[in-house]
Amino acid sequence: MALKYIRVAAVATAAMLALAGCSAGGSSDSSSAAASDCAASTGKVDLSFTTWVPGMDKVVDIWNKANPNIQVTVSTVPNGNSGTYQNFFTQLKAGNAPDIGQVEYDTLPAFRVQDGLANIAACDGVQAAKADFSDGLWNQVTFGEDNSVYAIPQDSGPMALYYRKDLFEKNNIPVPTTWDEYAADAVKIKALGAQITNFPKGDVNWFAGLVSQAGGQWFSTADGSWNVNLTSDASTKVANYWQGLLDKQLVSTIPGFTDQWNNAYDTGADWTWVSAVWGANTISSGAPSTSGDWAVAPMPQWGTSAATSGAWGGSSSVVFKGSKHPAEAAKFLLWLNTSTEALTALNTEANLFPASSTGATLPALSEGVPFYGNQKIYQLFSDQAKVISPFTWGPTMTQTYSDVSDGFAAAIGGSGTLLDALNSGQTKTIAALKAQSIPVK
Amino acid sequence: MSTSVLSGVAPAPAAARIRPRKRLRNKRAIAILILPFGLLFAAFYLVPVIYAVIQSLQVIRREGTFGVPHLEFGGLSQYFLVFQDGEFWSSILRVLAFGVVQVPIMLGLALLFALLLDSPLVKGKKFFRLAFFAPYAVPGVIAAIMWGYLYSPSLSPFSFVTSQVNLLDGGTVLWAIANVVTWVYVGYNMLIIYSALLAIPGELYEAARLDGASQMRIAWSIKIPLVMPAIVLTAVFSVIGTLQLITEPQVFKQFTSSITSTFTPNLLVYTTAAVPNLNLAAAFSVVLAIATFILSFAVLRLTQRRAAL
Repeated sequence: MALKYIRVAAVATAAMLALAGCSAGGSSDSSSAAASDCAASTGKVDLSFTTWVPGMDKVVDIWNKANPNIQVTVSTVPNGNSGTYQNFFTQLKAGNAPDIGQVEYDTLPAFRVQDGLANIAACDGVQAAKADFSDGLWNQVTFGEDNSVYAIPQDSGPMALYYRKDLFEKNNIPVPTTWDEYAADAVKIKALGAQITNFPKGDVNWFAGLVSQAGGQWFSTADGSWNVNLTSDASTKVANYWQGLLDKQLVSTIPGFTDQWNNAYDTGADWTWVSAVWGANTISSGAPSTSGDWAVAPMPQWGTSAATSGAWGGSSSVVFKGSKHPAEAAKFLLWLNTSTEALTALNTEANLFPASSTGATLPALSEGVPFYGNQKIYQLFSDQAKVISPFTWGPTMTQTYSDVSDGFAAAIGGSGTLLDALNSGQTKTIAALKAQSIPVK
Repeated sequence: MSTSVLSGVAPAPAAARIRPRKRLRNKRAIAILILPFGLLFAAFYLVPVIYAVIQSLQVIRREGTFGVPHLEFGGLSQYFLVFQDGEFWSSILRVLAFGVVQVPIMLGLALLFALLLDSPLVKGKKFFRLAFFAPYAVPGVIAAIMWGYLYSPSLSPFSFVTSQVNLLDGGTVLWAIANVVTWVYVGYNMLIIYSALLAIPGELYEAARLDGASQMRIAWSIKIPLVMPAIVLTAVFSVIGTLQLITEPQVFKQFTSSITSTFTPNLLVYTTAAVPNLNLAAAFSVVLAIATFILSFAVLRLTQRRAAL
């Protein structure tokens, strides 16, 4: 008996030592803040690439045929907030992350805070790529720091208003250009037995897009410390506006991107969706029986001053820390996200709206789209992209989203308001930053 | 169990002469037979538990807005956060309320079905045994998705009901989940109780019938007391299952806005790990494991004492 216990203890001790070794290795200081050197590898290089862009394998095939010495293997996974970010974080901790991954702009700070991103500023051609992107997007991937590039922008998500043109015309309701008109239309549509739109409690990044359009910010950094403010005047204005629509039951409250939600659009129960450019695909695949009935207009505005838009989503491609071939990875990413060849393929395969200015001139983007009554919707989105109000993302967006979303759920259920949700989201975000030992004011 | 151990020990002094060699040979056999279990147990149970405990004792330190994180020994500081976390405790209260209502209903139904199957008056036993057990063969996620569609106000085939009564709003969703769990696990628990019923010797029934006991009386005075250990076992399993509830609420997020990210303790652990705040998530897990252990032990003690009376 005693022997057995000694053995168990020995196994346990050995395991603890092994694990202690692991964690010590994982947390060792492997980075310097400045751009590290980016030396090319010799011989054939294999790169792993994890993404949720549909059809990416076909785009990568083009590269693999032309570059026998840099072979890229694609893994297609569910989108970031559906579990892939969590997998990335775990892989980084275990030290076996892929070489290249897809990360949305809002989650870049979280990966940087976890020390998960390689600084590829020193790699050939990366700094020069700056000219290809808008200042706002480039700022997202450099965090506004010199000699730092942590990602190459891939697509962007300018927002606009998708609406059922046929129903608006049939019922003689003018397409709203301001949020006041939007609320007034909501009442008219409710009287017709439908709803103007849906308020999805889970899409807090959508809500952040609305806040950014109103000129709000949730995060800022100054003097080496974060400042969290989810309840600025702009945020409060947006929250109170949607609370008003919820109180009068003018909007539905179905979880976004679900079968019920598709059904609401497919059956005409919901008439509009303020969404990003990639939403064009979401509607056409989720509500196929409404083909030809939709149109796109700029987002409703808050005032009469210059028109603004927000952004929802949009991805960049990162080289994860620990990749042995950052130079080759950077070379591939520059081809993928700035060459006409790749951007054309991405647009054909996945309807991706390119972030680069090279991509903005793709012929496919100046054509009419049949689902939207042959409207040239991508030209409209290009114009909207130019008036996006920049937004700074915090370092624990996954947590901020889930806490605000929980508050939204309570507000939808009738306890508390959307503003309460932002208030508690702020408190919890500050607590989460402190737990990560991130300086916060 | 305990009697067989005793009877195995009892003859040992008589066989004292051949004992040393026999023990040695047995030892090797035991070691070989235990090895596969031991390895898997260590790899998938001991090591992860130890790793979680180590994680839960660490904190992150860094300098500046984007400083490189370092893990440091932080003592019990994560556990202080656990005990201050109101949402953790309200999620535990939520699943306890769930358990107090759902477990007795489920086990009551399981016992009733087992007794019916065991009753000599019922025809088509094989069919009913399979029919009651069939839902357990449906994977948990599939069952939850299926019920999600049945409950959904707009997609349900019974929308004349679900559009009138929202089964998925904040007040009812917990009980909608309870219904799914009951549907899945009644058959499983029934089978455990039923096999205990089959093990009851026929002489007891014969004696009872000779004494003029009715079927009802036999069920109440003979069957139920004799299957009490099986019922206790299923109760302990159910308590553990209740505290670990995650599949159904996770799936129901697709159907309703009223499931929060902290709805059950395990969802909260998952959400915390996603931040990623692995150290706090590990501390939550350790506290949850200890709470589960205490609660199942309490159920065991409580029911065993009553069974002994």
